[in-house]
Amino acid sequence: MVVYSFFIFDRHCECIYIRQWLNTASATQPLSRPVTASSAATVTTSVAEKPPSGGRLSMAEQAKLVFGVIFSLRNMVKKLCGPEDSFLCYRTGHYKLHYYETLSSLRFVMLTDIRTESLKSSLHQIYVNLYVEYVVKNPLSPVEHAGGEGVNNELFELGIDSFVRTID
Amino acid sequence: MFLFRLRSSRVFSLAVTMVVYAVLILNKAGGLIYQRDFNPGLQKLSSNDYLILAGTFHGVHAITSQISPTNETSSSGLEVLESENFVMRCFQTLTGTKFLIFAEPRQQNLDVVVRRVYELYADYVMKNPFYQIEMPIRSEGFDRHLTSYIKPHQ
Repeated sequence: MVVYSFFIFDRHCECIYIRQWLNTASATQPLSRPVTASSAATVTTSVAEKPPSGGRLSMAEQAKLVFGVIFSLRNMVKKLCGPEDSFLCYRTGHYKLHYYETLSSLRFVMLTDIRTESLKSSLHQIYVNLYVEYVVKNPLSPVEHAGGEGVNNELFELGIDSFVRTID
Repeated sequence: MFLFRLRSSRVFSLAVTMVVYAVLILNKAGGLIYQRDFNPGLQKLSSNDYLILAGTFHGVHAITSQISPTNETSSSGLEVLESENFVMRCFQTLTGTKFLIFAEPRQQNLDVVVRRVYELYADYVMKNPFYQIEMPIRSEGFDRHLTSYIKPHQ
Protein backbone atom coordinates (compact mmCIF):
# COMPACT_ATOMS: atom_id res chain seq x y z
CA MET A 1 0.00 0.00 0.00
CA VAL A 2 1.22 3.48 -0.87
CA VAL A 3 0.01 6.68 0.75
CA TYR A 4 0.49 9.67 -1.55
CA SER A 5 -0.81 12.60 0.43
CA PHE A 6 -2.95 13.67 3.35
CA PHE A 7 -5.10 16.77 3.82
CA ILE A 8 -7.14 18.26 6.67
CA PHE A 9 -9.82 20.85 5.95
CA ASP A 10 -11.52 22.80 8.73
CA ARG A 11 -15.15 23.89 8.99
CA HIS A 12 -14.38 27.14 7.17
CA CYS A 13 -13.44 25.06 4.12
CA GLU A 14 -9.82 26.02 4.56
CA CYS A 15 -6.97 23.58 4.15
CA ILE A 16 -5.17 23.55 7.51
CA TYR A 17 -2.74 20.73 6.92
CA ILE A 18 -1.04 19.22 3.87
CA ARG A 19 1.36 16.34 3.95
CA GLN A 20 2.84 14.67 0.93
CA TRP A 21 4.84 11.49 0.81
CA LEU A 22 6.73 11.70 -2.43
CA ASN A 23 7.25 8.56 -4.42
CA THR A 24 10.85 7.80 -5.25
CA ALA A 25 10.64 8.76 -8.92
CA SER A 26 9.71 12.37 -8.23
CA ALA A 27 11.57 12.92 -4.99
CA THR A 28 12.78 16.49 -5.20
CA GLN A 29 12.92 17.11 -1.48
CA PRO A 30 13.68 14.89 1.50
CA LEU A 31 10.84 12.59 2.50
CA SER A 32 10.69 13.38 6.16
CA ARG A 33 12.05 16.78 6.93
CA PRO A 34 13.06 17.54 10.49
CA VAL A 35 10.60 19.90 12.10
CA THR A 36 11.69 22.27 14.81
CA ALA A 37 9.60 24.81 16.64
CA SER A 38 10.91 27.67 14.51
CA SER A 39 10.38 25.93 11.19
CA ALA A 40 7.04 24.43 12.15
CA ALA A 41 5.12 27.59 11.34
CA THR A 42 6.52 27.77 7.83
CA VAL A 43 6.04 24.13 6.90
CA THR A 44 2.65 24.55 5.27
CA THR A 45 3.64 27.63 3.34
CA SER A 46 6.88 26.13 2.07
CA VAL A 47 4.99 23.12 0.77
CA ALA A 48 2.19 25.28 -0.57
CA GLU A 49 4.48 27.62 -2.49
CA LYS A 50 6.35 24.84 -4.20
CA PRO A 51 6.06 25.61 -7.92
CA PRO A 52 4.42 23.00 -10.11
CA SER A 53 7.10 20.75 -11.57
CA GLY A 54 6.70 19.19 -14.99
CA GLY A 55 3.08 20.23 -15.50
CA ARG A 56 1.93 18.72 -12.25
CA LEU A 57 -0.17 20.77 -9.88
CA SER A 58 1.34 22.30 -6.79
CA MET A 59 0.08 20.95 -3.49
CA ALA A 60 -1.91 24.13 -2.76
CA GLU A 61 -3.72 23.87 -6.07
CA GLN A 62 -4.23 20.18 -5.57
CA ALA A 63 -5.74 20.86 -2.14
CA LYS A 64 -8.25 23.25 -3.72
CA LEU A 65 -9.25 20.67 -6.30
CA VAL A 66 -9.53 17.96 -3.66
CA PHE A 67 -11.76 20.15 -1.54
CA GLY A 68 -13.98 20.96 -4.51
CA VAL A 69 -14.37 17.30 -5.30
CA ILE A 70 -15.13 16.12 -1.76
CA PHE A 71 -17.54 19.01 -1.21
CA SER A 72 -19.50 18.21 -4.38
CA LEU A 73 -19.49 14.46 -3.85
CA ARG A 74 -20.54 14.83 -0.23
CA ASN A 75 -23.51 16.99 -1.24
CA MET A 76 -24.35 14.62 -4.06
CA VAL A 77 -24.39 11.60 -1.74
CA LYS A 78 -26.47 13.45 0.85
CA LYS A 79 -28.97 14.40 -1.82
CA LEU A 80 -29.22 10.85 -3.14
CA CYS A 81 -29.37 8.97 0.16
CA GLY A 82 -30.53 11.43 2.77
CA PRO A 83 -28.56 13.53 5.26
CA GLU A 84 -27.38 10.61 7.40
CA ASP A 85 -25.44 8.99 4.58
CA SER A 86 -21.79 9.88 4.15
CA PHE A 87 -19.35 9.55 1.32
CA LEU A 88 -16.49 7.15 2.10
CA CYS A 89 -14.11 6.96 -0.81
CA TYR A 90 -13.77 7.03 -4.56
CA ARG A 91 -11.36 5.34 -6.92
CA THR A 92 -10.02 6.30 -10.32
CA GLY A 93 -7.65 4.36 -12.53
CA HIS A 94 -4.61 5.73 -10.71
CA TYR A 95 -5.46 6.57 -7.13
CA LYS A 96 -8.05 6.25 -4.40
CA LEU A 97 -9.32 9.05 -2.18
CA HIS A 98 -10.53 8.28 1.35
CA TYR A 99 -12.71 10.71 3.22
CA TYR A 100 -13.72 11.06 6.84
CA GLU A 101 -15.74 13.90 8.32
CA THR A 102 -16.12 14.56 12.03
CA LEU A 103 -19.24 16.02 13.62
CA SER A 104 -17.48 19.37 13.86
CA SER A 105 -17.09 19.40 10.04
CA LEU A 106 -13.41 18.70 10.17
CA ARG A 107 -12.53 16.75 7.01
CA PHE A 108 -9.70 14.27 6.71
CA VAL A 109 -8.67 13.19 3.22
CA MET A 110 -6.06 10.65 2.26
CA LEU A 111 -4.89 9.77 -1.23
CA THR A 112 -3.55 6.25 -1.64
CA ASP A 113 -2.99 3.72 -4.39
CA ILE A 114 -6.03 1.86 -5.72
CA ARG A 115 -5.48 -1.48 -3.98
CA THR A 116 -5.95 -0.02 -0.51
CA GLU A 117 -9.00 -1.15 1.44
CA SER A 118 -11.29 1.34 3.16
CA LEU A 119 -9.37 3.67 5.46
CA LYS A 120 -12.35 5.13 7.30
CA SER A 121 -11.31 3.66 10.64
CA SER A 122 -7.69 4.70 10.10
CA LEU A 123 -8.72 8.30 9.46
CA HIS A 124 -10.89 8.14 12.56
CA GLN A 125 -7.88 6.91 14.51
CA ILE A 126 -5.82 9.82 13.20
CA TYR A 127 -8.51 12.18 14.45
CA VAL A 128 -8.88 10.57 17.88
CA ASN A 129 -5.30 9.61 18.64
CA LEU A 130 -3.32 12.33 16.90
CA TYR A 131 -5.44 15.38 16.13
CA VAL A 132 -7.30 15.49 19.43
CA GLU A 133 -4.23 14.55 21.46
CA TYR A 134 -1.64 16.81 19.91
CA VAL A 135 -3.60 19.68 18.38
CA VAL A 136 -6.83 20.10 20.33
CA LYS A 137 -5.28 19.37 23.72
CA ASN A 138 -2.24 21.53 23.05
CA PRO A 139 -2.63 24.64 25.23
CA LEU A 140 -0.47 26.70 22.85
CA SER A 141 -2.57 25.85 19.82
CA PRO A 142 -5.22 28.39 18.74
CA VAL A 143 -8.90 27.40 18.50
CA GLU A 144 -9.10 28.19 14.81
CA HIS A 145 -6.20 27.04 12.71
CA ALA A 146 -6.06 29.79 10.11
CA GLY A 147 -3.23 29.05 7.70
CA GLY A 148 -2.48 25.77 9.41
CA GLU A 149 -1.27 27.41 12.59
CA GLY A 150 -1.04 25.00 15.50
CA VAL A 151 -1.66 21.85 13.48
CA ASN A 152 1.80 21.14 12.17
CA ASN A 153 3.58 20.69 15.46
CA GLU A 154 6.35 18.19 15.84
CA LEU A 155 4.43 15.53 17.76
CA PHE A 156 1.56 15.56 15.29
CA GLU A 157 3.88 15.26 12.31
CA LEU A 158 5.83 12.42 13.88
CA GLY A 159 2.59 10.71 14.84
CA ILE A 160 1.24 10.98 11.29
CA ASP A 161 4.50 9.63 9.90
CA SER A 162 4.61 6.61 12.16
CA PHE A 163 0.88 5.99 11.70
CA VAL A 164 1.19 5.96 7.92
CA ARG A 165 4.05 3.49 8.25
CA THR A 166 1.87 1.14 10.30
CA ILE A 167 -0.92 1.12 7.73
CA ASP A 168 1.59 0.53 4.94
CA MET B 1 -38.11 -24.62 -7.63
CA PHE B 2 -38.95 -24.69 -11.30
CA LEU B 3 -39.17 -20.92 -11.38
CA PHE B 4 -35.85 -20.58 -9.66
CA ARG B 5 -34.23 -22.90 -12.14
CA LEU B 6 -35.73 -20.99 -15.02
CA ARG B 7 -34.40 -17.72 -13.70
CA SER B 8 -30.91 -18.98 -12.96
CA SER B 9 -30.64 -20.59 -16.37
CA ARG B 10 -31.14 -17.26 -18.11
CA VAL B 11 -27.78 -16.05 -19.27
CA PHE B 12 -28.59 -12.36 -19.45
CA SER B 13 -30.38 -11.83 -16.18
CA LEU B 14 -28.39 -10.74 -13.16
CA ALA B 15 -27.59 -12.90 -10.19
CA VAL B 16 -30.50 -12.93 -7.76
CA THR B 17 -28.42 -11.32 -5.04
CA MET B 18 -27.56 -8.25 -7.12
CA VAL B 19 -29.57 -5.12 -6.37
CA VAL B 20 -29.22 -2.23 -8.78
CA TYR B 21 -30.90 0.97 -7.59
CA ALA B 22 -30.71 3.14 -10.67
CA VAL B 23 -29.09 3.66 -14.05
CA LEU B 24 -28.14 7.09 -15.39
CA ILE B 25 -26.65 7.94 -18.76
CA LEU B 26 -24.88 11.26 -19.36
CA ASN B 27 -23.95 12.62 -22.76
CA LYS B 28 -20.51 14.04 -23.44
CA ALA B 29 -21.58 17.57 -22.46
CA GLY B 30 -22.76 16.44 -19.02
CA GLY B 31 -26.44 16.45 -19.87
CA LEU B 32 -28.66 13.75 -18.48
CA ILE B 33 -30.09 11.68 -21.32
CA TYR B 34 -31.47 8.70 -19.42
CA GLN B 35 -32.52 8.08 -15.84
CA ARG B 36 -34.37 5.10 -14.48
CA ASP B 37 -34.94 3.72 -10.98
CA PHE B 38 -35.09 -0.06 -10.62
CA ASN B 39 -35.19 -0.72 -6.89
CA PRO B 40 -36.01 1.51 -3.94
CA GLY B 41 -32.89 2.59 -2.09
CA LEU B 42 -32.17 6.09 -3.29
CA GLN B 43 -34.19 9.19 -2.54
CA LYS B 44 -36.74 10.32 -5.10
CA LEU B 45 -35.47 13.44 -6.79
CA SER B 46 -37.18 15.82 -9.16
CA SER B 47 -36.08 15.74 -12.77
CA ASN B 48 -34.46 19.13 -12.28
CA ASP B 49 -32.40 17.76 -9.38
CA TYR B 50 -31.27 14.87 -11.55
CA LEU B 51 -30.10 17.32 -14.20
CA ILE B 52 -28.15 19.28 -11.57
CA LEU B 53 -26.68 16.04 -10.24
CA ALA B 54 -25.57 15.00 -13.72
CA GLY B 55 -23.95 18.35 -14.39
CA THR B 56 -22.18 18.33 -11.02
CA PHE B 57 -20.92 14.83 -11.55
CA HIS B 58 -19.64 15.73 -14.99
CA GLY B 59 -17.54 18.51 -13.46
CA VAL B 60 -16.32 16.37 -10.58
CA HIS B 61 -15.33 13.64 -13.00
CA ALA B 62 -13.20 16.12 -14.94
CA ILE B 63 -11.51 17.39 -11.76
CA THR B 64 -10.77 13.90 -10.43
CA SER B 65 -8.77 13.18 -13.56
CA GLN B 66 -6.69 16.33 -12.89
CA ILE B 67 -5.74 15.31 -9.35
CA SER B 68 -3.01 12.79 -10.00
CA PRO B 69 -0.66 12.01 -7.14
CA THR B 70 1.24 9.57 -9.33
CA ASN B 71 3.45 10.61 -12.19
CA GLU B 72 1.02 9.77 -14.95
CA THR B 73 0.11 12.95 -16.74
CA SER B 74 -3.43 11.95 -17.60
CA SER B 75 -5.46 9.93 -15.18
CA SER B 76 -8.87 8.46 -15.82
CA GLY B 77 -11.64 10.12 -13.90
CA LEU B 78 -13.72 8.73 -11.07
CA GLU B 79 -14.57 5.06 -11.56
CA VAL B 80 -16.10 3.82 -8.31
CA LEU B 81 -17.73 5.91 -5.60
CA GLU B 82 -18.56 4.32 -2.26
CA SER B 83 -20.81 5.62 0.47
CA GLU B 84 -22.47 4.04 3.51
CA ASN B 85 -25.61 3.09 1.59
CA PHE B 86 -24.65 2.59 -2.01
CA VAL B 87 -21.83 2.09 -4.46
CA MET B 88 -21.73 3.83 -7.81
CA ARG B 89 -19.83 2.57 -10.85
CA CYS B 90 -19.07 5.07 -13.59
CA PHE B 91 -17.96 3.96 -17.03
CA GLN B 92 -16.92 6.50 -19.62
CA THR B 93 -16.86 5.46 -23.24
CA LEU B 94 -14.24 6.72 -25.66
CA THR B 95 -16.76 9.20 -27.04
CA GLY B 96 -17.37 10.70 -23.59
CA THR B 97 -20.75 9.19 -22.79
CA LYS B 98 -20.93 8.18 -19.12
CA PHE B 99 -22.90 5.29 -17.68
CA LEU B 100 -23.62 5.46 -13.95
CA ILE B 101 -24.85 2.40 -12.10
CA PHE B 102 -26.02 2.79 -8.51
CA ALA B 103 -26.14 -0.46 -6.54
CA GLU B 104 -26.06 -1.92 -3.07
CA PRO B 105 -22.74 -1.54 -1.24
CA ARG B 106 -20.15 -4.29 -1.63
CA GLN B 107 -21.26 -5.34 -5.08
CA GLN B 108 -18.29 -6.88 -6.84
CA ASN B 109 -19.17 -7.41 -10.48
CA LEU B 110 -20.53 -4.00 -11.43
CA ASP B 111 -18.04 -3.86 -14.30
CA VAL B 112 -19.96 -6.64 -16.01
CA VAL B 113 -23.27 -4.84 -15.46
CA VAL B 114 -22.02 -1.55 -16.83
CA ARG B 115 -20.57 -3.25 -19.93
CA ARG B 116 -23.84 -5.02 -20.55
CA VAL B 117 -25.79 -1.77 -20.22
CA TYR B 118 -23.37 -0.22 -22.72
CA GLU B 119 -24.00 -3.14 -25.07
CA LEU B 120 -27.76 -2.65 -24.79
CA TYR B 121 -27.28 1.08 -25.41
CA ALA B 122 -25.27 0.33 -28.53
CA ASP B 123 -27.85 -2.17 -29.78
CA TYR B 124 -31.12 -0.42 -29.00
CA VAL B 125 -30.27 3.28 -28.89
CA MET B 126 -27.39 3.88 -31.28
CA LYS B 127 -28.76 1.51 -33.91
CA ASN B 128 -32.16 3.17 -33.79
CA PRO B 129 -32.39 5.32 -36.94
CA PHE B 130 -34.78 7.75 -35.24
CA TYR B 131 -32.52 8.50 -32.30
CA GLN B 132 -30.94 11.93 -32.36
CA ILE B 133 -27.48 11.81 -30.90
CA GLU B 134 -26.89 13.53 -27.51
CA MET B 135 -30.66 13.82 -26.98
CA PRO B 136 -32.73 12.12 -24.25
CA ILE B 137 -33.26 8.42 -24.86
CA ARG B 138 -36.86 7.39 -25.47
CA SER B 139 -36.63 3.87 -26.74
CA GLU B 140 -39.06 1.18 -25.72
CA GLY B 141 -36.72 -1.59 -26.77
CA PHE B 142 -33.92 -0.24 -24.62
CA ASP B 143 -36.29 0.12 -21.64
CA ARG B 144 -37.59 -3.40 -22.06
CA HIS B 145 -34.21 -5.07 -22.40
CA LEU B 146 -32.75 -3.08 -19.54
CA THR B 147 -35.62 -4.17 -17.29
CA SER B 148 -35.23 -7.79 -18.23
CA TYR B 149 -31.50 -7.58 -17.51
CA ILE B 150 -31.73 -5.67 -14.23
CA LYS B 151 -34.76 -7.35 -12.74
CA PRO B 152 -36.46 -5.69 -9.80
CA HIS B 153 -35.17 -7.62 -6.84
CA GLN B 154 -38.03 -9.54 -5.26
